[in-house]
Amino acid sequence: MADYAPVDLTAEGQVEFELNGRRVSAPAGTMLVDAAYALGVEVPIFCYEPRLGAPIGACRMCLVEIEGMRGLQTACSTPVQPDMVVRTNSDIAKDGQDGVLEFLLENHPLDCPVCDKGGECPLQDRTFRFGPGRTRFVEAKRHFPKPLDLSSVIALDRERCISCYRCVRFSQDVAEDKALVMQERGAAAEIATLTGDQYEGRFTGNVIDICPVGALTSIPYRFTARPWDVTNTPSICGHDATGTNVELTLREGHVARVTARPEPNYAVEEGWLSDLSRFAYEGNRAPDRLTAPLIRDDGRVKEASLDDAVDAAALVLGRGGRVGILVGPTATVEEGFLAQELARTALGGARIQRLGIPGAGLDAIRSQPRAELGDIDGAGLVVIVGGDPPNQQSIVELRVRKARRRGAAVITVGPRPHALEPVGTAVRSEPGRLAAAIAALDLPEAASTIVLWDEADLAAEPDAAGALARIVGDRGASQIELGADVNGAGLRALGLGAGDVLEAAAAGEIDTLLTIHADPLDGPGAADWGWALGRVRARIAIAAYASAVTDASTVVIPAATHYETDGVYVSMTGRAQRLRPGATAPAGAAPGWELLIALAHRLGAPPPYRSAARAFAAAAAARPALAGLDYDVIGVLGAPVAAVTPVSPNGVNGPREAAGTGLPLVTTTRIFGNAAAHRSEALASVRTGAELVLNPAEGERLGIADGARARLRSPHGECILAVRLAADHPAGAAFATTGVPGAGVERLLPADRGPVNVEIEAP
Amino acid sequence: MGLDDSLKGFAITFRQMLRKPETIGYPERKTPVFPRFRGRHRLWTHDNGLEKCVGCSLCVAACPADCIRVVAEENTPENRVSSGERYARIYEINMARCIFCGYCEVACPFDAITLENEYEMSERTRGDLLYTKDMLLAPHPKPVPVRSEVP
Ligand code: SF4
Ligand code: SF4
Ligand code: SF4
Ligand code: SF4
Ligand code: FES
Repeated sequence: MADYAPVDLTAEGQVEFELNGRRVSAPAGTMLVDAAYALGVEVPIFCYEPRLGAPIGACRMCLVEIEGMRGLQTACSTPVQPDMVVRTNSDIAKDGQDGVLEFLLENHPLDCPVCDKGGECPLQDRTFRFGPGRTRFVEAKRHFPKPLDLSSVIALDRERCISCYRCVRFSQDVAEDKALVMQERGAAAEIATLTGDQYEGRFTGNVIDICPVGALTSIPYRFTARPWDVTNTPSICGHDATGTNVELTLREGHVARVTARPEPNYAVEEGWLSDLSRFAYEGNRAPDRLTAPLIRDDGRVKEASLDDAVDAAALVLGRGGRVGILVGPTATVEEGFLAQELARTALGGARIQRLGIPGAGLDAIRSQPRAELGDIDGAGLVVIVGGDPPNQQSIVELRVRKARRRGAAVITVGPRPHALEPVGTAVRSEPGRLAAAIAALDLPEAASTIVLWDEADLAAEPDAAGALARIVGDRGASQIELGADVNGAGLRALGLGAGDVLEAAAAGEIDTLLTIHADPLDGPGAADWGWALGRVRARIAIAAYASAVTDASTVVIPAATHYETDGVYVSMTGRAQRLRPGATAPAGAAPGWELLIALAHRLGAPPPYRSAARAFAAAAAARPALAGLDYDVIGVLGAPVAAVTPVSPNGVNGPREAAGTGLPLVTTTRIFGNAAAHRSEALASVRTGAELVLNPAEGERLGIADGARARLRSPHGECILAVRLAADHPAGAAFATTGVPGAGVERLLPADRGPVNVEIEAP
Repeated sequence: MGLDDSLKGFAITFRQMLRKPETIGYPERKTPVFPRFRGRHRLWTHDNGLEKCVGCSLCVAACPADCIRVVAEENTPENRVSSGERYARIYEINMARCIFCGYCEVACPFDAITLENEYEMSERTRGDLLYTKDMLLAPHPKPVPVRSEVP
C-alpha cells in the first residue's frame, strides 16, 4: 500500500544532501526513505508506514550508510540533514539489508504457493530484489497451528508474521480501539487481542492492507484469486456519503474483494476503509438481487428480456397520464440527469424528486466555505454538531482522532451518545434543541476551526443551521456536511429537490410512477409513501434489489449496482468522483444510465449521447454546479463541484416542532445495521439489528424491561422493537436504529426526517 | 520430350515402389516419441491419494498461452483434497490454445503437473478440448509408444 509518504520536492525550505553520490534536496524534516523514494531511490522497508504516526524502527530493513555515523542507520526514522552523505547501495549497506532479510526469513515458512499474499507480497518482492538469495539457516523453523481466526473476516497466520508492529500501531494509534497487541517475545511473539476476544471494530480490515506479509489475510477473499488472475479498478465506495476511494478486485466478472487504493486519496480516506466499505461487496450477489426483468400483467408475472421490459416500460409511460419520477439516493449524477431530461422532454413536464432530506434552511450553513476530510487533520478545533459520524460517515472518525492526536480540541454537540464523544468534550443537547446548545457553546480560540454538522439533524432544525452558520462565518471557519445520502450532494447539484412527487401522489395527481434506485417504502416516511403509492395506478421500477416497491411494479428492470456501472458520485464534501465498473452486471441487468437512454429512445426523445461520459458532460454543461467538470477533469482523485446558490434545491421541510406526543425520537443508522451490511455474509457476525434504546429511568417509567419488546407509535406509523436499557443514553428521548431492513423504524418518521415524538408501550 | 525421358520417369517410379516406405500406417501404428516429448498434461496425486496440486496458480502465471484456469478453495477436515491449505476446485486446460511449451511444469512448485507423451487429442468440438481436472488426473486413454534411445 502507500508505503512512502508523498514528498513535495518543490516546497519551500529544502535541505541539500548527497544520496548515492548525487547532490539532491528535499524539504527539511522529510524522512530519508521518503526523500529517497521521491528522488528515485528505493530503500526497502517493512515497518515504516507514514500513516501510522512516528516511525518506530522495528524491522531494521531500511538500513543505510550515513557518513560520520557509527553503524548503519534506519532511513525510516532519520530525517534529512543538510549535507549528510547517504549511501543506500554501498557494500556495507547491502550487507546490512542482506542480513536483515536473511534473519526475517529464518523463521518464515515457505508458504508462498498457498499464501494469499503471494504475488503482491512486500516480503517476496524485497527478498527478490534486495535479499541475499540464499539462507544459512538449517535448523527447524518455529511452527504454530494455522490459520487462526482473528475475527470472522481476518485470518491470522502467526508463522508468517515478521513482528513489524504495523497492525498493532493501527489498532493502538489510528483506530484507537486498543485491541491488538504483540504477545510474548522473540520467536514466540504473536499478534493477538489483549482480551483474547475476536478483533472487532469499524476499521479492522485495514490491518489486512497494511500487513507487509501474509500474516493477516481476508477470510472472504481467502484463496479466491491470485494477483495475476484479476484486474483492479479504482472506484468509490457506494455505501456512505464520504466518497471513500476504493479499489475493486475483479475476477471472472465478480468483485473478489475491495481494498484501499495503492495510492490513497489523501483528501478523502487516506487509504483507510471502514469494514462496511471493505466487506459489503458480497451483497452484490445477494439472493435479493434482481437478475431478470419482470413484467406484471393482470396479476401474472413473467420474466422478459431487457429489450421487452424497456418496451413495456415505454408503453406504460407513454400512455399519457401524469408521471412522477423518484430518484433514489444511490443513483449516479448521470442517472439523475437522464431522469430529469426524460421528465423534461419525452414525458413533457413529469414531476421528479430525489428521495432524501429536503433541507430547506440548510443554505446558510452549506454556503459557508467547505473543507475536505483531509483538512480535519490540521485543524486546531473540530466541532461536531449532531449526528453519529462513527456509524454513519465512518472514516470521519479516523480523521477526528488523528486531529486530536495532533493536538486539536474536539467538541461534540448532539443528542446521541457516540464513539467520538469521549475523544473530546461532549455537550449533550436535548432532542430538537440543537439551536440552544449551539448558542450556549463556548468555543476555545483556535488557529483553524472545522465544523462538522449532520445533515439530518440540522435540516430538522433550521434555526440551529443558521446559528451554526454564524459561528462558522464569525470565526472564519470551514464546514463539512455529514451527509445522510450516498449521492445526495450529486443529486442536489443537478437541482433535484425532495418533496414534489410525494405531495402530488398523496393528492392523487400521479398516475404512473417511475422509481430509479428508489425504495420509498423502506426509507423515512415509509408509512406516508405507502399511502401515497396506493393512489398511483402503474409503477415502473429500475432497481438493483427486490423490495416492496419492485414487488408491486408493473415493469421491473434490473439495474447494475455501483460496483458495475460508470458514473459520478458527489461526496458530502462536494467532491465529484468516478465510479468505474469493477464487475459485470447480471445478464438481465444493465446500468441505469443505459436503461434511461434506451427509455428516452423508445419514448421518441433520443438524447444526443450514448455513453455515461457524454451524459455527464451534458449534465455539466447544463448545471452550473457541475460546470467545468468531465470524466478527465475528475480523473482518478476527483474534483470539487462548484458552490452555487441556492445550495439546497429543495422542497419544504415539514413543521419544526415535533409532531405527536410522547418521547422525542432520535434515530441513528449503525454502520453494520443497514441493508448493505445485512446483505453481506462477511459481516454476518458483526451486523446489528434494530432496537430501541432507553435510559433505565425511562424504562422504569414506561414499565418496559431490558430485552422486552415495545410498540412505538408516531403520527406517521408504528413498529415493534426490542428494547435495550442503557445508562449512557439520556432520559427524555427514545433512541431507535434506522436502516435495518424490514424493521420498519422508518415508518415512524416523516419523509423529510423531521422531528417526531413516539408513544411507547408494551405490545 | 521423347520416349527416352518417359522411360527415365518410369524407372524412378519402379525403383521407389520396391523400397521400404517411409510412412507408417497411422492410426493402426503410431510413431514412437522421445521420452522428453511434450504431450498431453497429467495432474498427479500423492501415494496417499491427495492431490499434489495446491491450486497456487503459478502455472497460470507462467502459461504464455493463457490457457489454464485455476479456481482454488480451502481444504476442510471433511473435504481434504490436497496436502496443503488450499486445493484447486477447478483446474482446466484449454488444449485448443496450449502450445505445449511446458512452462507450467517448470513453474509448478509441487511437481503436480507434468507434460506426458500422449499426443492424440483431436476432438470434434472445441468444447471437448477443455480438459477438466478429472480428465487430467486420469491417464490419457490413448497411450503412445515411447522410444528408449535418446537422440
Ligand atoms: S508472506 Fe510473502 S513471503 Fe511469506 S509465505 Fe506469504 S507470500 Fe511468501
Ligand atoms: S501481523 Fe503483519 S502487520 Fe502485524 S506485526 Fe505481524 S507482520 Fe506486522
Ligand atoms: S504447456 Fe505451455 S501453453 Fe500449455 S498449458 Fe503449459 S504453460 Fe500453457
Ligand atoms: S499445477 Fe502446480 S503450479 Fe499449477 S496450481 Fe497446481 S500446484 Fe500450482
Ligand atoms: S522500515 Fe525502517 S526499521 Fe522498519
